[in-house]
Amino acid sequence: MMQQVGLLAVILLLSLVLVRFSGTHVDRETGQTVSNFFNPGSLVQILTETSFFAIMAVGMTLVIVSGGIDLSIGSVYALAGVGMALTMRAAGWDSPWAALALCIGFGLLAGVLNGTMVATLGVHPFIVTLGTMWVFRGVAFVVSKAESVLVPGPVTDFAKNPLFLGKGLTPVPAIVMGLFILGGALYLNRTTMGRRVLAVGGNADAARYAGLPIPYILAGVYVIAGLGAGIAAFLGAAYFGSASSADANGYELYVIASAVVGGVSLNGGRGTVTGAFLGALLIVLIRTGIRLLRLDQNYEWIIIGAAIIIAVVLDRLGARLLEKRMVNG
Amino acid sequence: MKVSVVGLSKRFPGVQALSDISVDFLPGEIHAICGENGAGKSTLGKVLAGLYSPEQGHVALDDKPVRFSSPREAQAAGISIVHQELLFAENLTVADNLLLGEIPNQFGWVSDRQMHETALRWLQKVGSDIDPSMEVSKLSVSKQQLVQIAGGIGRGAKVLIFDEPTSSLTATEATALLGLIRELAARGTTCLYVSHRLDEIFAIADRVTVLRDGAWVGTKPIAEVTPSSLVQMMVGRELLASSEGGGAFGAPVLEVRGLSSVGRFGDISLTVRAGEIVGLAGLVGAGRTEVCEAIFGVDRLATGSVSVAGKSLALGSPQRSIAAGVALVPEDRKRHGLVLGMTIRHNGSMAVLPRLSTLGWLNRTAESRTVREFTDRLRVKAPSIESVVGGLSGGNQQKVVLAKWLATDAAVLLIDEPTRGVDVGAKVEIHGLIREAAASGKAVLLVSSDMPELRALCDRVIVLREGVQVAELGRAASETEILSAMAGV
Repeated sequence: MMQQVGLLAVILLLSLVLVRFSGTHVDRETGQTVSNFFNPGSLVQILTETSFFAIMAVGMTLVIVSGGIDLSIGSVYALAGVGMALTMRAAGWDSPWAALALCIGFGLLAGVLNGTMVATLGVHPFIVTLGTMWVFRGVAFVVSKAESVLVPGPVTDFAKNPLFLGKGLTPVPAIVMGLFILGGALYLNRTTMGRRVLAVGGNADAARYAGLPIPYILAGVYVIAGLGAGIAAFLGAAYFGSASSADANGYELYVIASAVVGGVSLNGGRGTVTGAFLGALLIVLIRTGIRLLRLDQNYEWIIIGAAIIIAVVLDRLGARLLEKRMVNG
Repeated sequence: MKVSVVGLSKRFPGVQALSDISVDFLPGEIHAICGENGAGKSTLGKVLAGLYSPEQGHVALDDKPVRFSSPREAQAAGISIVHQELLFAENLTVADNLLLGEIPNQFGWVSDRQMHETALRWLQKVGSDIDPSMEVSKLSVSKQQLVQIAGGIGRGAKVLIFDEPTSSLTATEATALLGLIRELAARGTTCLYVSHRLDEIFAIADRVTVLRDGAWVGTKPIAEVTPSSLVQMMVGRELLASSEGGGAFGAPVLEVRGLSSVGRFGDISLTVRAGEIVGLAGLVGAGRTEVCEAIFGVDRLATGSVSVAGKSLALGSPQRSIAAGVALVPEDRKRHGLVLGMTIRHNGSMAVLPRLSTLGWLNRTAESRTVREFTDRLRVKAPSIESVVGGLSGGNQQKVVLAKWLATDAAVLLIDEPTRGVDVGAKVEIHGLIREAAASGKAVLLVSSDMPELRALCDRVIVLREGVQVAELGRAASETEILSAMAGV
């Protein structure tokens, strides 16, 4: 909880800096001068970018809370996107709902594979998902013949539907993200399965002695991670209009970083879904900030890497200060 | 060296762990520090060893005030602690661990020979023949403890603090340790012995200091106190006397026939009736815990037949055993009984989640109500059920484990060492709870290494020796009879 207050403060601070220093431009339609950062278009854009990470970060948080890790999440994204686009083309479908179902299906399939192997093989999830990271992307590469596959127009229209907002604004990915985060948070905090995930991550032995079905609990979190990657892949492929085996390359690290910045413990047993969302938002804000403040783009990785370490160190410091205050106060 | 604490106070969140404690510890004396769990005795030891720094007051060596900001400084001043929980880099050798702080080296190259020799010399000082090149994880707990003591003595410690040193030792090992402490004291070492085991305190201590709720109650020569006056000082209230059980039991609830597990135990047959408490006695390694784990389904290789309330139970799955009405309060509560980072509420409901939920949706009101019902009944001492169990005292942690399993309303309770590392007051309460559970018609199988506990609680005692059932003794059996059956003499 306290972590999220700190993270929120950092996000607000960064936003203020962006409001102040990102400069302005003249809106072509209204003729008014608007901030480069604080305008509906940019804000929705930031949320859209965040949504692809944050949805996957929900699943990743559950996986890490259970004491595991899923390195294959970016590859599942690529596989689900490519699989969906190819199937739609082969079958001649153009319904967004079919596309969504296909992405979710491929994501779940990959998740079940990961989960089954983690739960039954007794091999560390790092190794299992390191392997499937290459296998899944490799499959996407082979079936797509390394080509980008176009997604039917109606699917893109669905993802870019302005709904109740003005023209050019695309709130659908952000709304899906909101629902998925809500669902994930409720799952972790309010359902028996969520409680079991926390228990297994906190002390797997004690969970076994309490009669919890460990293999199902472990498999479950990878299935949810796969589900998240599938949904993110649907939004991404639909939004950008195509899918390719090179999509989401390296996203697993952004997603893990989001979860960690959001306060999940790599030892398992501790973490929140909303924290992971804030972590993802911070990373996207930093990326956006680099662009808006006209910093050299080549420094992006260095800045993000440093920011991750600083965020986690600040968090530990804050926790220690809080502890001290409780002792003395 | 004379060590004193003067007006020492230490606070933790929500607890005044020590308040205004002043005691002198004299050279060459064995000074027992006792009190219930949470009385502050371990905290006192840790302040002396430099692990905690006090808010008020100070430590003095030969009347000179000192201030330690780390265990290293305390060690340099001659104070070493032998921890309750042993802290080792278990993957390294004995020598590595002993000399971890000051590895003998030449320009950064580790001098293995010198390290081996130093370690050997230190170990010999405590009369041990442990090979310094052994990996620590391969040593028994008692040997690991010796290594810790050797480390302290080797570094020239003049004051040794023993924090519940015998809590995980067998009787023979404990006796040997007490002998060593006596010898060290005779050589002039000041020994602080933190414990709540009265028999040990009376066997070893010259003087005893009693703490209660962080405050000093008294310091007396051991000749001036009796076990009951000491308990009185520790608890500050009258304890319920142990009562004799009745003898009217119901139908057989737990029936075990020909239970075996290769390499652990063989051909165990026993019956526990409703309302009955049956003890499982034996030396460490006799297979008592293993029998309980087999009945509970943790041991996948166990064979034989187990039935609960007349219904046969397929072994090998804790979930099936729980569903059949079996509960296991495990021996190692920190490893198997609790998720230490979770709250009392989370731990207490862990075994009954399905009952507290609809379609997987957790009913938090029902959860809180259930957990509170059992923690109240068990008198768990904690600010609220939202407290993290890792911060509770041993006795309260044990009560949370009991609460978790009583909440399942299991017909069969397998209880493994319920009062290990638990203070006198909590022990009496836990005994009361076990009796109460039996009186309400549950069948209890109780594993314990504590003879008085077995005698006080059990209607019958089954004795195991090296995995074989060797005797069954009635309530009238004496401690000597049980012990000789355990040892096979």
